[in-house]
Amino acid sequence: MDKRIIFAVAGAGKTTYIIESINEEDRTLIITYTVNNLKNISDSIKRKFGYFPRNIEIYTYFKFLYSFCFAPFLSYKLDAKGLFFEAPPRNTFKLKRTNLRYYQTADGRLYKNRLAKLLEVKNVLPEINKRLEKYYDCLYIDEVQDFGGHDFNFLESLLQASIKVLLVGDFYQHTFDTSRDAKTNEGLHNDYDSYLSRFEKIGLEIDTTTLRNSFRCSSQICDFITSNLGIQIRSNRKDQTYIYEISDSEKAKELFNNNSIIKLYYQKSDKHPGFTRNWGDCKGENCYNDVCVLLNKKSYSLYQEGRLKDSAPLTRNKLYVAFSRTRNNLYILPEPLINY
Amino acid sequence: MKRFVKGVRLSNYCRFKDLSLDFNDRLNILIGDNESGKSSIISAIDIVLSGSRNKVDALGLDKLFNAETVETYLKSKKRYDELPILFIEVFLNDINRKELEGKSHPSGQYCHGVYLLCQPRDDLSKEIKDILDKGDNNFPFEYYSVNFKTFADQSYTGYSRFLRHLVIDNSKISNDYATKAYINTVYQAFVDGAERNNHLNKYRSYKEKYTISELANINARVEDYAFAVKSNFKNNLETDLTITENGIDIENKGMGRQCFIRTEFALQKNGKELDVILLEEPENHLSHTNMHRLIQKIKDTDSRQVFLSTHSNLISARLDLRKSFLLNSSSYDYLQLDKLDEDTAKFFMKASDNNILEFIMSKKVILVEGDAEYILMNQLYLNLTSEGIERSGIHIISVGGTSFKRYLSVAKLLKIKTAVIRDNDGNYEENVSQSYKDYVSEIINVFSDKDDKVRTFEIGIFNENKNICNELFAAKRRTLSVLEYMLSEKAECAFQLLEKKGDALLAPQYIKEALIWIRE
Repeated sequence: MDKRIIFAVAGAGKTTYIIESINEEDRTLIITYTVNNLKNISDSIKRKFGYFPRNIEIYTYFKFLYSFCFAPFLSYKLDAKGLFFEAPPRNTFKLKRTNLRYYQTADGRLYKNRLAKLLEVKNVLPEINKRLEKYYDCLYIDEVQDFGGHDFNFLESLLQASIKVLLVGDFYQHTFDTSRDAKTNEGLHNDYDSYLSRFEKIGLEIDTTTLRNSFRCSSQICDFITSNLGIQIRSNRKDQTYIYEISDSEKAKELFNNNSIIKLYYQKSDKHPGFTRNWGDCKGENCYNDVCVLLNKKSYSLYQEGRLKDSAPLTRNKLYVAFSRTRNNLYILPEPLINY
Repeated sequence: MKRFVKGVRLSNYCRFKDLSLDFNDRLNILIGDNESGKSSIISAIDIVLSGSRNKVDALGLDKLFNAETVETYLKSKKRYDELPILFIEVFLNDINRKELEGKSHPSGQYCHGVYLLCQPRDDLSKEIKDILDKGDNNFPFEYYSVNFKTFADQSYTGYSRFLRHLVIDNSKISNDYATKAYINTVYQAFVDGAERNNHLNKYRSYKEKYTISELANINARVEDYAFAVKSNFKNNLETDLTITENGIDIENKGMGRQCFIRTEFALQKNGKELDVILLEEPENHLSHTNMHRLIQKIKDTDSRQVFLSTHSNLISARLDLRKSFLLNSSSYDYLQLDKLDEDTAKFFMKASDNNILEFIMSKKVILVEGDAEYILMNQLYLNLTSEGIERSGIHIISVGGTSFKRYLSVAKLLKIKTAVIRDNDGNYEENVSQSYKDYVSEIINVFSDKDDKVRTFEIGIFNENKNICNELFAAKRRTLSVLEYMLSEKAECAFQLLEKKGDALLAPQYIKEALIWIRE
C-alpha cells in the first residue's frame, strides 16, 4: 500500500500537489484542519474538474472525527450532543481515563481534544479503520503538522488502514495546539528529526525533497525567513522582490490606508480596521501579493536584535506563516507606529 | 443496486411492545385478522422511510404509543428517568452508503438503517416532572421529541430518499389527498431529475404563453388590471397532473378499476426508482378476476420489494405462503411459514379452494374428510359437551379427501392443536397408525375407528344410531339397505340426520375421544 508523507516549505504547493494527485475515480477523502483551507481545497477541486466530483469528499478534521469516526459507533450509546469546543475544565484532569466525565460534559457534549482518546478507550479504532477501507480508496491529509495530543495517536492508528495515504505538512507551520491535553505527545513538535521518525516508524515513506522549494516566496523573502527565524526555506523563483522596514509614521499611515495590502497582526486583528488577519490564521491561504507584517513591541525588539528565532516556538511559527504569505514585497511595521 | 428493507424492530409502537421481523428481499405478506397490527407494520415502514414528522403528527403520538406501556407507566412511581421511549428501526441492505451505516441506534449492531426515536425532551424535563407530579393520569406525549436518524447518527428528512417507496392503500382510495400523493410519487418515480425540471419549466411557460396570446383580447378591454393564468408552486404541473387510461382520468373510474390501475402502474417495470411497494389490503374493491390478475402481476415483479397486507385467503395462498407473516390479534408475536417445506407450500398455492387462512388463524382445529362429517360435527360436539363448538374456540375444517398431512405440517410449525378425524378405509394399521406416526404429538392426534370393518364415518354413525337411521331412511328403501343408502348419499343423509334428529344423535367412540381430546 502506497503511504507517503511529504514535508514541505511554505508556498511550495502542498495543496496544489494534493489537487494534482486526485482523480475522478478513486473514492477520495481529504482531511484538513481549518475551514479556510477546506474552502481553498474545495475551490481548487472545482477549478481542476470544472465541477465537484462525487468520488471526492473533504472534511475538516473534527468534522471527520465526529461524524465519520465517533457518531456511527458511539453516539446513541453515549447520548452525544455534539462537540464542546473549549478546553476541558481543570477538574476533569484528575479523572480516570475510563470515566466518561473525562470526555463528556454533563449536558452530553464531547471535549474535542479528547474525542480521539475516547475512541481508543471504547475500542472502536479497528472498526473505524474497516469503515475507512470500505468507503475510501485514498486518504489525503493537508496541514498534518497540526495533529497533536491524542489526535496524533489517533492519526497513527488511522494510518494503519489498508488504503493509499498521502500526508503533506510543514513542520514549522505548526501554529496551534487545539489538540493538546496535558502531557499527551507534549514534546511532539520540539524536534524536527524525532517528529519525522514517528512517521517512519509507522511505515510511511518520508519525502523531504519534492516540495522543498517555495514557488510563492522569492529568494529574498526565503533568505529573510531563514536568517531571521532560522527556518530553512529556498525559492524556485529567479525574480527579485523587496523587503521594506517602515519606521516613519507618514509611510506607515499611507501603508495602513492601502486596503490592497493585507496587515498581519500577532493577535486580535479583528480589533483593527481595514484588511487585516492574524499571523497564524492565514495559513493555507495563497492570495496575497504585498504583505505587511506588524510586529508587536516584544517581537520588534527581538527583530531589531536579530533574535526573532528565539521567540516562543508557536510565535516563531506564526511569524513564519505570516512572512511566507508574501508573493511580492514584504513590509515590516512596528505595531506602535500605527495610531488612529 | 437493489435496495430493500431487511427488517424492522418496533418498540412500544402500536400493539407491539417489542417486535422484530426479518423480511425477504422480494415479497412479504402480512396476514392477520382485524386489529392484528398488520397495517401498523406497513405504517411503521412508511413513516420511517418517509422521515416525515407530519405523518407522526397526523397519526398522533398518543395513538402510536403502546397503550399498555403507557398504562403501566402511569401506574408506576412515574419517575422522569423511567418514561418509556418509542422507536421504529428499519434495517436496510448494505448499499454502501456511509451515512446509513453504523451502530448508533437502539439495537446497536453495525449495519445500514434508519430509525424513528420518540423520547421525552430533556430540556423540558422540569415541565414534564410537574405534569407527572400532578397525580392525574396525564401522559406527557406533547413533551416528546420526534427524531429521524440514520444508524450513523445523521438526521434525515423525506428529501434524503435513501430508498424510494410507495404505499398503495385501497381502502383510502376516495381520499383526494391520497390520490394526489399517489400520482406524484409515481410521476417522480418515472421521471429523472432533469426531465422533471424540464416538465415543470415547460408547463409554466405554456401557461404564460396562454395568458399572453389567448387572454390578450379580453385584457385589451380591461383597464389597469389583467386576467392571467396562475403559475405558482400551488398551481404547477404536479398539482394538475393525473393518470388516464384510454383518455379517461383514473379518478373517474370505478373503485375496483382504480385500485387495479394504481397497483399495476406502480409495479410497472420501467418505473426506475421505486424500490419498495407497500400494498394495503389489495383485495379491497377487486373482483375475483381482477384479483387473479393482480396476483399474477405481483408474482412477476422481481426487481422490487413488495409488502402486502391482507386477510384474503386467496391472495395469501396464491402467493408463496412461506413469505407470510401471520399476525393474530390475541397474540403479540407473529408466526412465519418460511420453514414450511417447498412441497407443502406449493400444495397450498395450487389448491383451488382451501381453508389455509382459517386454519392458521385458529388455535384448535378439527380436520375432517368430507361434507358429511363437517355437517354433523358441530351437533355431535354440542350433544357431548352441551357447549357450542365455536364458543370453545374450535374450528372445523373439511379438507376434502386426504390431504391431512399438508395441514399437519403447518400445525406442527405453528403449534396449532389439531385433531384429524378420518376413515380407516378398511385398514386401521396401515391408513392410520403407520401413516401418521411422524405427526402425532402432544398437539396433533389422529382419530379413526380401530375396527377395520367400520371403515367409514357413515358406518360408525349407523352403528351408534341404528334406530334413528332406520326411522329416517328405511321407509323408501327398495333395493338398497339403509346403510348402503347412507353410503351412497353421504351429505344428504347427514343433512337429514341433523335437521330431523340432531338432538338425539350419538357420536361413535373414536369421535367422542377426538372431541374430548381437542377440548382439553
